[in-house]
Amino acid sequence: MAVKSARSGSPLRTMVSLLVGNKEPPLPSQPAMGFFTDTSLCIGCKACEIACKQWNQLPASDPVWTGSSYDNTGQLSATTWRHVQFIEHIGRRDNGRNAYIDDQIAQAQLEGTIPLIPPGTALPFFNTDRWLMQSDVCKHCANAPCQEACPTGAIIRTEFDTVYVQQDICNGCGYCVVACPFGVIARDEYGDRTAHKCTLCYDRLKDGMEPACAKACPTDSIQFGEVEQLKAHARERLGILHERGVEEARLYGVDDAILEGGLNSFFLLLDAPEVYNLPENPPRPSNNVVPASLWTIVAAAVLGLFGILFFRE
Amino acid sequence: MEENRLLTITAPFREGFSSLKLTERLVTLTTGYTPDAERELQEASYYDYPVLKAPVWRWEIIWYFFFGGLAAGCYVIASIASLFGSREDRAVARTGYYLSLLAVLPCPLLLTKDLGRPERFLHMLRMFKVKSPMSMGTWSLVGFSLFSGITTVIQAARDGILGRWWGPRVLAALPQRLIALPGTAFGLFLGGYTGVLLTATSVPLWSRSKVLGAVFISSAISTSSALISLVLRFTRAPVPVLHKLERLEWVALLVEMTGLLAFLRGSGRAARPLVGTGPTEHGRTFWRFVFGGGLALPWLLQTLSLLGKRSEKRRSGRGIVISLLVLVGGYFLRRTMIEAGHTSSTDARTTLWNAKR
Repeated sequence: MAVKSARSGSPLRTMVSLLVGNKEPPLPSQPAMGFFTDTSLCIGCKACEIACKQWNQLPASDPVWTGSSYDNTGQLSATTWRHVQFIEHIGRRDNGRNAYIDDQIAQAQLEGTIPLIPPGTALPFFNTDRWLMQSDVCKHCANAPCQEACPTGAIIRTEFDTVYVQQDICNGCGYCVVACPFGVIARDEYGDRTAHKCTLCYDRLKDGMEPACAKACPTDSIQFGEVEQLKAHARERLGILHERGVEEARLYGVDDAILEGGLNSFFLLLDAPEVYNLPENPPRPSNNVVPASLWTIVAAAVLGLFGILFFRE
Repeated sequence: MEENRLLTITAPFREGFSSLKLTERLVTLTTGYTPDAERELQEASYYDYPVLKAPVWRWEIIWYFFFGGLAAGCYVIASIASLFGSREDRAVARTGYYLSLLAVLPCPLLLTKDLGRPERFLHMLRMFKVKSPMSMGTWSLVGFSLFSGITTVIQAARDGILGRWWGPRVLAALPQRLIALPGTAFGLFLGGYTGVLLTATSVPLWSRSKVLGAVFISSAISTSSALISLVLRFTRAPVPVLHKLERLEWVALLVEMTGLLAFLRGSGRAARPLVGTGPTEHGRTFWRFVFGGGLALPWLLQTLSLLGKRSEKRRSGRGIVISLLVLVGGYFLRRTMIEAGHTSSTDARTTLWNAKR
C-alpha cells in the first residue's frame, strides 16, 4: 500500500514520505463533545473518581488522610483524572445574616407557613452553613495552554474537539505541567514518566459510549454531550436555580471569557470560583510570548549597540 | 562584665534580626507590595491546596540556563569583537568562540537528562511550533550548536591547533565573519528565549511581569564578559582589550539590574517567593548572591575601576574578584528563579489573585 501510494505521488512527496513516514489524513470532524459538571447536584459519592480509575486502569493513590475534609484525594494528578472536592462552610452565621434568617423563621412559625429559602444558602436549610461538593476534571479548554506549550506535538485536539495526550509521543519535558492554569496535567513520576490527564474517555467516545464518570454519576451532576447543547442546558439550569432563589449560582467556562474561547468542560458553581480553587480569569500563557520577546529584543539591541560602540573605538 | 558578654553573644542574633527587617523593607520598596497576612488569610481558596502543579524542572534546568547563557553570550561578544574590533581584539574573539563551544557542549545532555523519557529527545524535532518557546528554543539550540561548532573549528584551524594538512587550510579559508552573523542571531535567541519560556507559563512569579527574557539576555552578556575577561586576565591580554570588556560588563550589569527591578515591580505580590524572607521564600539567597553580591557590588567595584587610575596589578586583582562575583551571581539568579517558581506554584492565594483581572 505504502509503495503504491508512493509511486503515484510526485518524487518530492515520495522522498518526504520515505523520510518521515506517511502522514495520515485527519479523521472526519465530529461535533464538539464535553462535560457539564453541575455542582448543585453533586452529593460527593466519588463514584466518578472510581469509575474513571477503573475504566482507565489507573492505579490507586496511596491513602492519605488530609484531615481537612472528606476529600482525601487532594488534587487531580497523573493517575487521578476526577477529583471530588468537599468545601465545608461552617460558622457562616457569624457574618451578620443570622438576624434576618431568625426573623424569617420566627415569622414563619407565627404564621404557620414554610419559611423562605434564606439568601446565601444552596439548599432550603434554616442556617447558612453549607457543604459544597464539586467533581473537578480537565477543562478541555478551547485554547488549551498545555496543547499550545507542547513542543513535541504529543498533545492534540481530537475529532471530538477534546484535548488528548498521545502517550507514545510525549517525552515528559514538563512544559505542559507549568502551562496549565488549572493544575490538571501532571507527569507520572512513578509510572511511565510522561504527562497524563483526562482523555474524556476518547476510547469510549470512539465507540459511541459516554465517558465512565458521566455514566457512573448517580445524580447527573456530571453530564456529557455536545458542547453547544450542553451549554444551552447549563444556561437553562442556571435560570431555574436563580428562579428558585439560589442567587449565588453561576456558570464557569460557558461563555468565551476564560482563555479567550471558553471551556469544553464547564461547571455550575454555587460560590465564587476561588472557593473551588478555580482561577477567575487566568491569563493565557501563550499571550506572553510576544511581549516577553519584545522586551528581550530591546535588551539585546541595547547591549549589542553598546558592545559595537565599545569595540569600534 | 556579665552584661557585656551577653551582648557579645547575642550580637549576631540581633544583627540578624535587624538585617531581616531591613531586607523586608527593601522587599516592600522593590515589589511595591506590603504583605498583609490578615487580608490574605480572608481570601478564598480550597484549604490552601495548590491551584497549580509544581514544575518538574530541577538542577538540570538551572545549569542549562547558566551554560546556555554563557554559550550564547560568549559567542555574541566574540562576534562583535571579530566584526567591529581592532587587531588586538582578536584575543576576545578567539577566547569567546572556544568558551562558547565548551559551554554549549553540556546543554543538550542536561536537557535530555531533564526529560521524563530521555530516549525520546528526538521527538522535540517533530514540530516547528512558533507558539511554543520550548520548541523554538530546541531549534535555536540546534542551530546555535551548528554555527558555534563551525565558527570554533574555523578558529581552531586558523590558530593552527588542527595541524597543517589540507583540511585545516580549507577550513581557515572559510568566511568566519560571515558565518558569525546568523550565528549571532541564534546566540541572542538562545540567550533570551529561556526567560520567554518561563514567562509563557501559569506560574505567577515567572509570568506576571514580562521582562524575564530581558533579564536573562543581559545576564548572559554580563556573565560571559566576566568569563572572557577572567580567562584573558590569566593569559595576560593587552589592557585596552580588557578595558572594552569591562565597559561592556558594566553596561550589562546596569541593564540587568534595571531589568530585575522592573521584574520585581511588575510582579508585585507574585515576586514574594523570590525576594521575601519567609521560611519558604528565597529572599536571603537572592539579596545576598544575586542582587547584592552578583550585581550591585561588582557594578560598584567596576565603576571604581573604570573611574580610578590605579596600578595595573591592583586592577587585575579586583577584576578577577568582579568576574567571579558576576559568575556566581548569574548562577544564583537562575537557581533562585527556578526554586522560587516552585514555591510560587504552591501558593494558592497568590495564584488566584494573579488570575483576577
